[in-house]
Order: sequence, then structure tokens, then C-alpha cells
Amino acid sequence: MNRILPVLTVVLVIVALWYVAAVGMNRAWVYDQASRAGVEPPGLGGLITATINQERPVLPAPHQVAAELWKSTVGMAVTSKRSLIYHGWITVSATLLGFAMGTVLGVVLAVGIIHNRAMDLSVMPWAIASQTIPILAIAPMIIVVLNSVGLQGLVPKAIISAYLSFFPVVVGMVKGLRSPDQMQLDLLKTYNAGDAAAFWKLRLPASVPYLFASLKVGIAASLVGAIVGELPTGAVAGLGARLLSGSYYGQTVQIWAALFAAAIVAAGLVALIGVAERGALKRMGMAR
Amino acid sequence: MKKLLTGAMLALMAGGAAQAADDVTLQLKWVTQAQFAGYYVAQAKGFYEEEGLNVTILPGGPDVAPTQVIAGGGADVVIDWMPSALAAREKGLALVNIAQPFKSSGMMLTCLKESGVASPADFADKTLGVWFGGNEYPFLNWMNKLGLKTDGSAGGVTVLKQGFNVDPLLQKQAACVSTMTYNEYWQVIDAGVAPEDLVVFKYEDEGVATLEDGLYVMEDKLADPAFAEKMVKFVRASMKGWKYAEANPDEAAMIVLDNDATGAQTELHQKRMMGEIAKLTAGSNGALDPADYDRTVAALMSGGSDPVITKAPEGAWTHAITDLALQ
Amino acid sequence: MTLVVLSLMFWAGAWVLNVGLAQSAVTRSRAGRLLVPAIFGITVLVVWEGMVRGLGVSPVILPPPSAVAARIAVSLPTLWADFLQTAVKGALLGYLIGCGAAVLTAIAIDRSPFLQRGLLPVGNFVAALPIVGIAPIMVMWFGFDWQSKAAVVVVMVFFPVLVNTVAGLAASDRMQRDLMATWSASYWQGLFKLRLPAAMPFIFNGLKIASTLALIGAIVAEFFGSPIVGMGFRINASIGQLALDMIWAEIAVAALAGSAFYGLVALIERGVTFWHPSQRH
Repeated sequence: MNRILPVLTVVLVIVALWYVAAVGMNRAWVYDQASRAGVEPPGLGGLITATINQERPVLPAPHQVAAELWKSTVGMAVTSKRSLIYHGWITVSATLLGFAMGTVLGVVLAVGIIHNRAMDLSVMPWAIASQTIPILAIAPMIIVVLNSVGLQGLVPKAIISAYLSFFPVVVGMVKGLRSPDQMQLDLLKTYNAGDAAAFWKLRLPASVPYLFASLKVGIAASLVGAIVGELPTGAVAGLGARLLSGSYYGQTVQIWAALFAAAIVAAGLVALIGVAERGALKRMGMAR
Repeated sequence: MKKLLTGAMLALMAGGAAQAADDVTLQLKWVTQAQFAGYYVAQAKGFYEEEGLNVTILPGGPDVAPTQVIAGGGADVVIDWMPSALAAREKGLALVNIAQPFKSSGMMLTCLKESGVASPADFADKTLGVWFGGNEYPFLNWMNKLGLKTDGSAGGVTVLKQGFNVDPLLQKQAACVSTMTYNEYWQVIDAGVAPEDLVVFKYEDEGVATLEDGLYVMEDKLADPAFAEKMVKFVRASMKGWKYAEANPDEAAMIVLDNDATGAQTELHQKRMMGEIAKLTAGSNGALDPADYDRTVAALMSGGSDPVITKAPEGAWTHAITDLALQ
Repeated sequence: MTLVVLSLMFWAGAWVLNVGLAQSAVTRSRAGRLLVPAIFGITVLVVWEGMVRGLGVSPVILPPPSAVAARIAVSLPTLWADFLQTAVKGALLGYLIGCGAAVLTAIAIDRSPFLQRGLLPVGNFVAALPIVGIAPIMVMWFGFDWQSKAAVVVVMVFFPVLVNTVAGLAASDRMQRDLMATWSASYWQGLFKLRLPAAMPFIFNGLKIASTLALIGAIVAEFFGSPIVGMGFRINASIGQLALDMIWAEIAVAALAGSAFYGLVALIERGVTFWHPSQRH
């Protein structure tokens, strides 16, 4: 209750402000239509009903977004091409594959950076620079190149997801693998433990909390990558495609519904990682 | 389900036939819509199967450049507009036009009457929306012909790269936006703007039209007789599909709707689009009219200080395929 | 084929050089530490050039670095105009507004744990909204010019900076706060003399994350509508014109600008938080 009440209050205040903003932003259209039809613009009551129920609003009202979300998820068959669940699954499958690839790559790079000084000095600056390259610019090129070697559909999108999710994992794992303090490392030396034993028995377990923190950031980045990757493949299917087709046909309510669906999926994935984190840390005795 | 049955039938037929069906991959210029009805109709009605072809149609969209896809080997034949294809050819990508189903141009500039635009002379000091990605060439040519600078200086026009919808016009951020007769114009109407409140300028009427949807392949692949024969069959079946679509627009619209994977298209929109597209394909049997080609090239080369192409292309089109296909 | 083999040999050679350098005394100096990533970067460029020329990759798929460099050389005015439009007017303004608003919001909700508990999960949700969805909406609301790009950047940087500032304001020790109380410091004095300076490492963490997000946000926002100048516009238009070398030129400018911005923020951080353990090496 302690945690739900504040969130609920904030959400209710935001929804109230949202309705006010919707009336404000949509009223220009209502006045426009009235003057075109040569009639008087409606009074306040009429204005409010007209603005929060528009077909192509500048700002859709919360109930419009909620209704569209409901209609596209629960209100239609899961296999229908208009279902957000169908499109959501396409995006999530690319996200999960990309996330797995990015995490493995990130961990491997982090291990290399810890143990090899040349890699330590050379890889980090370039990893940082790689994240400053706008992915939306390279995505079409990656897709075209991979298509020409026969990889289509899921894998190119997953590669773009992996590109965005490997960096948080590298940063987090490097910090985590370096987190055991000198006393603990010295203790292992007194046991005559080699580098490999120190890695498996000390560094890796110590890095688990940092890993999970990075995984949360990484999976959100992976979802963004999957959505971005859907655009150059013809925007045919997936949440990104849905966002784009909503934008293309001026279906503002559709855009907002797809946007919220993407955020809900991201929050869900992060929550899943949170559950895994609590379970893992509990088993390792590191639960807070 | 339909695709499963068709696929199963094709597999059975292929097993029974003496040769396996030839694979052809077609890359569309935009998303699945009635603009490409001829090809979807040819696929659904079995015209490709009759010719022994197994055609995969890849939808396009924003960020998909058909020229880049064919350069990467992702498609055998692409649909593109002639200005974009000629510009690519000059850049070193040897594309050749093998068929031209679209005789007329559907491009136009749609303006709000209240912005004060009544004729092209009124464009000065206004904001005009244009797509890029290869579709800006006809517009830049027209502005050049009118003597209007496009850098936003006084007496010129301010150009806006419009996104994929007509919001700039609806939100009054631009006086005019680029629209196609078959698509975006109707989006403006659907949004509640009455035709009486709009002023339209069709590129055909202004004399600045360039050739639009045509079929292009790579020159080196065309030298291979087996590939050329595949293209002959493909063009023949595709033109059959187009003529069928022109005669049966509603059925064609439903076929396109069946093939739409995004679930975003509507019946009303596609039927209307098919009706407008039929006006653009009418008058063409698929063969490129050299006079149209010359007119397009002249328009592209007349860009003043910034022409789209700098010299007349050689070998950018061929009648070899359509001669055999339309016998 | 020879080019491919030569570039692979160069890669092997550079790798050996880097390993040797890394273990030598050269890397004890600042300049020496920059040498290793520089060699790595040069190796990537050389291998790229060799592979593209050696394998005969079409320039409309992937141009070699030499072509990109040539394009940069002839297009400096265009690149500069694009940089001003996107990085300065769009990204920088949005960054300043967004980070400023986030710090002010964090201070505003500092006295109310209730608001904090409510706002942070909601902010989590907002931060999860994909930018390719927010951008068209911002363009619809704020028009085509740099204002909508700045708005997108504000939405993107607000939450990371807010979370970090809130964490930072909680970072001062109990003992330190008690000390301020013994000196009869008011809330605001405590805030400005103890808690804000103590929060600086966290705030700068957020600012560094936000700096990379800002430029990306501005570029992506331009894909959805822009005047005919700007880095995102140039990239988008070049895709259709098959001007791949221009795309890579803009990417190079973006990478340079993004890294320089990050470096600038890190430099300011070094000055402001000189007392923090992480700045000691």
C-alpha cells in the first residue's frame, strides 16, 4: 500500500492534466470544422465532448488510448494482423534473441578487457564511440548487407538489438568483475589460486549484481533496437511497423496505443529480469 | 491459410511438372497497397504460376531504397521511379528499365486555399512539403522551372521534408504538401478537409511530370539469356495482372488487402486507390514509350545548377523484354 | 585478393604492436594510453578499406573510408550547417533544458518521499517509450524546425538525470547531515553546501549518459519531418539518393560530436568532483 498509493496519486494527477491538455490541443480542429461548416463553435460542454472523442486528435484522450489498447489486444484474435499481441510477439522475439547475443558478446568483451591490457585500452573508447553512431542511419545498411548473404527477417533485427544492448553489459560487467577489493584478491593468492580460479570463484560471483543492473538497461535498449530494425525491413510487422503505419495514415490513437504497448512490454521485460535477479541473489546469499 | 493451400498446390504442381518453378523476387517501392495491385493480382490469380514462376513480393517502406536492395542482391527486379533509377545509374548502379506499366504521373502539390495559393506564382515565400528518398527530383525540377530558389531565401520557397503523412497541411505548418492522386490526397479529404478548401496542382498539367513506377533490373543480369527469359515471363504475367486489375478494381483492392501484413489498410482506402491507379496505368501496355523517356530525361537534366543527372543516360532502358512479352 | 590478405596481415601486426605497447611503460603516460585505441581505430579503417576494395564491394552498399574522407573534404559547409542545426540547436538546447528541468524537479520532490515514490516508477514507464514513437508526436506538436527535436531530446534526457539526481541527493552520509544540523544550517543551506555537492558524482553520471542520448535523439527526430538541413535529414535523403559516402560522412561527424560532447562533460566532471575516489587515478 505504501508503494502503490504514491504511484496511483501521481498517475491520477497526470491523467487529469492529460484530459485538460487534450481539450486544449484538440480544440483548434473543432473551431476549424465549425467555421468551415459555417456554424457557431460549441460551448464548453460540447467542446469537451468533441475534443476528447476526435478521430484524428492532436492529443488522444486517455480513454481513447485505453480503448484502442483493449481492442487491439483482448478484443481480437491473437493471430489477427491487427492484433498488438501478434505484432508485440514479433518484436519481442527479435528483442530476446538480440538481447541474448548482446549479453554474450558483452560478457566476453568484459572478460577480455579484464584480463588483457591491450583490449582494456583499445576496446573501451571505441565501444563508447560506437554508441554515438545513430543506429537509425546504419540499420538500413546492415539489413541490406545481411539480406544479400541470405539472412532475413529475425536475425538482422536481432543483430541491431545486440548492437544496442552489448554496451551496457560491457560497462556493467567490467565494473563488476573489478569490484572485489584487494583484500579478497590477496586472500585467493594465499590459496595459490590462479587467474582462472580467481575469475570463477571470486570475480564472476561478485559481478552478478552489476550484471543484473546492466541487463535491465540492456533489455530496454534491445527492445528499442528491435523496433528500429523493423523500419528498414519494410515496416511490415512488429510494434515498430505498427507505430510507423499509424504515423503514416495519421491514426494518432493507433500510434499512442502502439507506443504504450511497447512501454508495457519493456516494463514487463525489465520486471522479469528483476524477478530473476531477486531469485539469483537470494540463492547466492547476496540478497539485500 | 490461403497461402498454405496455394503453397501446397504449387508444391504438388512442381512435383508433377517437368521443371521446377523459377524463383523471382520483386521489391516494391512502398508498403503493400493498391499502387502495386497488378503484381498481387497476378500472384493471386495464378498468372505467375501459368508462366512457371514462383514470385516473392517484398513490400517496401520508409528506409527501404529499392535501388539499394537490388544492389545488395536482395531482389531480382525492383519497382522504382525513373528519376531515382537514372540518378542511381549515373552513380554506377547499372539499372535498366524493362517495363513501364505507369503511363501517367500521379504526383501533385495540394495546397490549402486559405494559405493564399491560387497559382504556381503564389508559391514564393511559402512553405512547401516534399518527400525525399528519391521523390524530390520532380519537385526540384519544377521549382527550377519556375525560377524559385529552394533554400528558404526571400522570394523563394521554404522546403520541408515531410514525413509519411499529411499532418503538415492539416496542422498548417506548410501551405502545400506533396501528395499522390491515389493516396495522400485522399488522406487529406478523409481528415475532414473539403475539396473546395483545397487547390491542387498536378505535375502532368504543369508539364513537369516524370515517369513513375517502372520495372528495373541490373544490366549484367539481363545479359544472361535464362534471366532475360524469366523476365519476359514475369512482365507478361504482370501486365496481364495489371489489365485485370484495371478491369476489376474492387476485386484487385480485396486481393491487396489480403496481402497486407500490417493490418493497417482499409477496404475503402484501397478501393479508392485502385480506382485512381487504374487512371495512371491506362494507356500503357507495359512497353516504355521513348517519347515519355526523352521528356523525363530532359526534365531531369534541366535542373540549372543542380541537375538530377548531368548527362543523357545510355542503355537505361530496353524494349527487348516487352517486345517478347507482348507478342 | 592481395588487398584482403594485406589488410589481414596489417591487423595481425597492429594487434601484436598494441599488446606490446599495452604491457610496456609507454602506457603509463596519458599520451601513451591514447596510442593504443588510436592504433586500434586506424587498424579498423585499414582493414575496412582493404576488404571493400579487395572483395570488390559495390560503393552503394559500403563505400571505402577513402571515399568517405573525400566526401567530407568537399562537403564541409554542408556538414557544418547540418551540425549547427542538429547538434547545437536541437541536441544541445534540448540537453540543457532537459537536464536543468530534471535537476530542478529532483530538488522540488526532495522534501516529499511520497512524491518520489510516485514519480519514479511513472518516470520509468515514460523512459521506456521508444523514441521512434515519441518523435512523430513531437513533430506534430512543435512543428518541423529545431523545437520538436529539442522536445524529443528533453523527453529522452529528463528521466536518467532525474533518477541520478534523486539518488545523489540521498548520497550524503547521516553523519555529514548531522554535522550541518549542529551548525544550525537551514534546509536550503544544507542543500547548497552539503547535499548538492555530494550529489555531483551521481548527477554527472546522469549527464554523461544523457550526452550520448541527446545527439541520437535529435538525429532520429529529424527522420520524421525536418527542414532541408540537419544531420538526420541528410542521412535520410542520402539513403534515397544512394549517397552512401555522405551517410558515412554524417555518421563520422555524429560520432565525433558525440564523443567530444561526452569528453567535455567528463572534463567538467573532473573539475567539479575532484574530491571523489573515482577521480583519483
